[in-house]
Amino acid sequence: MEKFLDVVIAGLLLGGLYALIAMGMSLQYGVARVLNLAHGEFIMLGALSTWTLYTVFDISPLIAVAICGPITFVLGFLIHRTMFRKLLSSSTNQGIFESTSMLASFGLMYVISNLAFMAWGPEIRGYSYLMDTVSIGGALFGARRLVTLGFALAIGVAFYIFLSRTKIGKAIRAAAQDPATAGLMGVNINMVLAICFGLGAAMAGIAGVLVSMCYPVNAAMGIEYLTVAIIVVVLGGLGSIPGSFIGGFLLGIIGSIVSFIEPGLTVVAYYAIFVILLLVRPKGLLGK
Amino acid sequence: MSDLMVIINMLALVYLGWFVERSLQKNKSKMWLFSGLVVVMLVILFTLPNYGPTYSYIMVTTILMYLVLTVSWALFSGPTGYISLAPAAFFGVGIYTSAVLGKDIPLLAVVLLGGILSFVLAMIVGALTLRLKGTYFIMFTFGLVLLITNLLLWYEIKFTGTRGRFVVAAGNDTIYYVMLGIFILLLITAFIIKRSKFGLALQSIGQNEEAAAHMGINVTGVKVIVFAITAFFMGMAGAIMTMKWTYIDPYSAFDLFRSFLPVLMAIFGGMRYFYGPVLGSVIFAYLEEKLLTEFPYVYKLAFGIVLIAVILYLPDGLAGLVDKIRARIARKKNALT
Amino acid sequence: MWKKILAFTIPLTICLILILTSVFAGCGGKADKDKIVVGMSRSLSGPIAIIDDSAFRPVYETWVAEVNAEGGIYVEEYGKKLPIELKIYDDKSDPATMAQLTEKLILEDKVDFIWGGGGTSFIYAQAPIANRYNYVLITMEGGASSLKELLPGMPYVFVTLSFSDWYEMPVLADMLASKGCKSAYIMYIADLHGVEYNGVAGVELGKKGIQILGAKAVPPDIKDLSPVIKEAKASGADAFLCFAYPDQVFPAVGTSIELDYNPKVWLGGPGINFGFFHTAFGPMVEGVMGWASWNRKSSPALNELADKLYTGKPEDSNDWWGHAFYWAGLDMWRAAIETAGSLDNTKIRDILATQHLQTVLGETWFENGLMNRETHPGEVGQWINGIYEVVGPFDKATAEWVYPKPPWPK
Repeated sequence: MEKFLDVVIAGLLLGGLYALIAMGMSLQYGVARVLNLAHGEFIMLGALSTWTLYTVFDISPLIAVAICGPITFVLGFLIHRTMFRKLLSSSTNQGIFESTSMLASFGLMYVISNLAFMAWGPEIRGYSYLMDTVSIGGALFGARRLVTLGFALAIGVAFYIFLSRTKIGKAIRAAAQDPATAGLMGVNINMVLAICFGLGAAMAGIAGVLVSMCYPVNAAMGIEYLTVAIIVVVLGGLGSIPGSFIGGFLLGIIGSIVSFIEPGLTVVAYYAIFVILLLVRPKGLLGK
Repeated sequence: MSDLMVIINMLALVYLGWFVERSLQKNKSKMWLFSGLVVVMLVILFTLPNYGPTYSYIMVTTILMYLVLTVSWALFSGPTGYISLAPAAFFGVGIYTSAVLGKDIPLLAVVLLGGILSFVLAMIVGALTLRLKGTYFIMFTFGLVLLITNLLLWYEIKFTGTRGRFVVAAGNDTIYYVMLGIFILLLITAFIIKRSKFGLALQSIGQNEEAAAHMGINVTGVKVIVFAITAFFMGMAGAIMTMKWTYIDPYSAFDLFRSFLPVLMAIFGGMRYFYGPVLGSVIFAYLEEKLLTEFPYVYKLAFGIVLIAVILYLPDGLAGLVDKIRARIARKKNALT
Repeated sequence: MWKKILAFTIPLTICLILILTSVFAGCGGKADKDKIVVGMSRSLSGPIAIIDDSAFRPVYETWVAEVNAEGGIYVEEYGKKLPIELKIYDDKSDPATMAQLTEKLILEDKVDFIWGGGGTSFIYAQAPIANRYNYVLITMEGGASSLKELLPGMPYVFVTLSFSDWYEMPVLADMLASKGCKSAYIMYIADLHGVEYNGVAGVELGKKGIQILGAKAVPPDIKDLSPVIKEAKASGADAFLCFAYPDQVFPAVGTSIELDYNPKVWLGGPGINFGFFHTAFGPMVEGVMGWASWNRKSSPALNELADKLYTGKPEDSNDWWGHAFYWAGLDMWRAAIETAGSLDNTKIRDILATQHLQTVLGETWFENGLMNRETHPGEVGQWINGIYEVVGPFDKATAEWVYPKPPWPK
């Protein structure tokens, strides 16, 4: 039993990170209808910037959250205002927009990753921060992983409050449900979509900061986190933000259990769940 | 020198694609001239190993590989609108057929078997998933490739105790001829499908699936069969191509990039036209090699920018651009007369 | 009719543009022999780029600059020194692209020589091609006992780097046995490298009566290693061996620190042998072991090499396993050209296969296509006082092995 608890807590710690990564992507798809394949690259940007801030300027990763978040937000916002907005206006229907925007984001993925290669080179970057050990009921865990979990939860809750209480949040929800009506009711739909895309990018950037605290990072890391994000987003239900949040934790726990039994099958399990879920319940756990 | 030979042959390949499109149209004038030219083009292509330097037909083989992947992808996904990211899976099945059986059975049998196994896999996948719509179908095919890769990797490590496999190599000219044969077979098949009731059925599925079902079309049957036929060609291409690579492992055999490339090349060339994907993949494959060798550090950057630019400014791809220019010139001519 | 002509001419003009660009690109025919052209297909982008950038690249860049500063390599056949020109292509970390680009280098660019690509799978893909066209291939990153079996059939291939049973693992087994180490727990990456090291460890450690209490394969993109580390800790093994790449070795170290897992031996690699391990983990590296070959104290020549490669550069770029071997491989190549007095690959192959030549490692030679054991300046390393020392075999050690490993600093 103690062992079981141990495994589940390890899964939760990993799941927090997954949840954060996936929420951003889910927001981008759920509202802005862009299945953003460059999502992993924003994580990479956050991670490598944190490394530079920490090793060169001696800025703590926890402060880096406040730097990388806004920067990636602006980046995402601008990309939507230019590229995706043009695509949106030239697409005749939503289906076409979804597929062309996905392909455009594939191109974006290449551009960002190549630029990062030029800036940081391909080396693996790592630093030690918060290497303390925490004991929970006799089981040992890394303090930095608990910080990661704390951040994921805090951002999840803050975002929930933002969506339900603020004016922009309400506009976003209206835009997600029915863009046409929202537009008629005076919501500046393009602005809302760009903000959502920016927020998604910011979440990726912050996730990147947290990733860099726990794992080595490099310019080629984006694709790995992209696949995780896609799995979680589908698991929780495409476009459902609470779904991704729960899906992240679920995938973390499943991964932890499988890697306890047979580590070689961890990644296989991720994809197996993904494929089977699409066959049995394509809408995901919380999909509408 | 070898570049020149490659370009002449690229031209011949584009011509073949254009010819298929042309013969699908009602306009039958000057067909004798075009058919004669087809014979010339085929002679140019089939005798390349006799007059071109070795590397020229190695290069054209690679172009042919992209052509087979892209044209067969577009054959299904073009009219139906189902974006499949499974080409890497079918291609990889061919590769592994070759790796496992290459030593024991003759080359052409291996290639055929690679195609048949891909066909079977596509039948199963198709029957299971072609009811999934839009993004869900894209996601499923995406996950499928990764699932196969990782499952195979786990299996190889656990049960064969190694990761990669050696493949029995074949001569460069043999590979070239087989690849060319597969491509021509694909063009003929595409022509037949487009001309038959399958082609019409696919078209109506793409426009309105429910209406097509009401019209009495066996929607699922048509989709699955055509999907499997395209997989057959991808599998054959994988089986022959790997004889050039000599060593493969699950990652290199099921490289997800090969799932994205056909989509990109088809869009680059223009999906509304049959010869669009042909044009797209020929130019794309050539440019890729030039970029990798001349500008290795900015290869991805250039690739990404071209892709975004095409999506934003050329929604109908290169072939669409050709049409637009043609229309403009025709208008000018009308204005003059 | 006009329309039909257009249907031809527009694809034609596009191709014409391509022809023109290619003509420009292909310009510059062969003149009098005034340089040695060496072709390489390297992973400049993609996941393997890490290896390219930290392993062979610093070596060839420094080495070629040094040789060219002297005017090049003297080739008797031409009666003059010929400088080296590198032609480097990017294979996007894909062995299939590498195979094609290698053929392009040989057939199309007609380079005089080729140098190896990065990583063991790449050697597998490249070696048969080089051998088929009778091009000498001195490999850099990578090596494997399964490759050893193929070498007799590929006389043009020479492997520089040390690897599992050549002679890392036998040396490690001797070391562990000498201190009375009884058991080991292995974590390995599900990959050619991990599988091979795990297999060889089973054989070599078994010979010394060291029991393997567990061996877990992990997929390359696994994120949470804590279940494996916890199991290793629970097993109570004396030694923890982590046969994986930096991507897994670094998290394994981090997780071990977090879970306070401190076995008597913590050995991992490749990854531990790089300077960036020290920059990433700082004082935590103390006592951690990995594969190694050289150190500043190994010999005066190697101290000089360290000056050449690392002075004025960040510690990140240090590699105390491969760099000396790669440098020696290039020295061998140069010495063979000078001895042959020619750029003929077959003559150079014969010299490489049979003669002892002078390199940075002293007298160096290949034995059945592998760099001889006596040539190796070391096999096993350990971080002691912030320096990566060679600790095994004992007769080549630059510092005394610290056993058991000290606790992780708080």
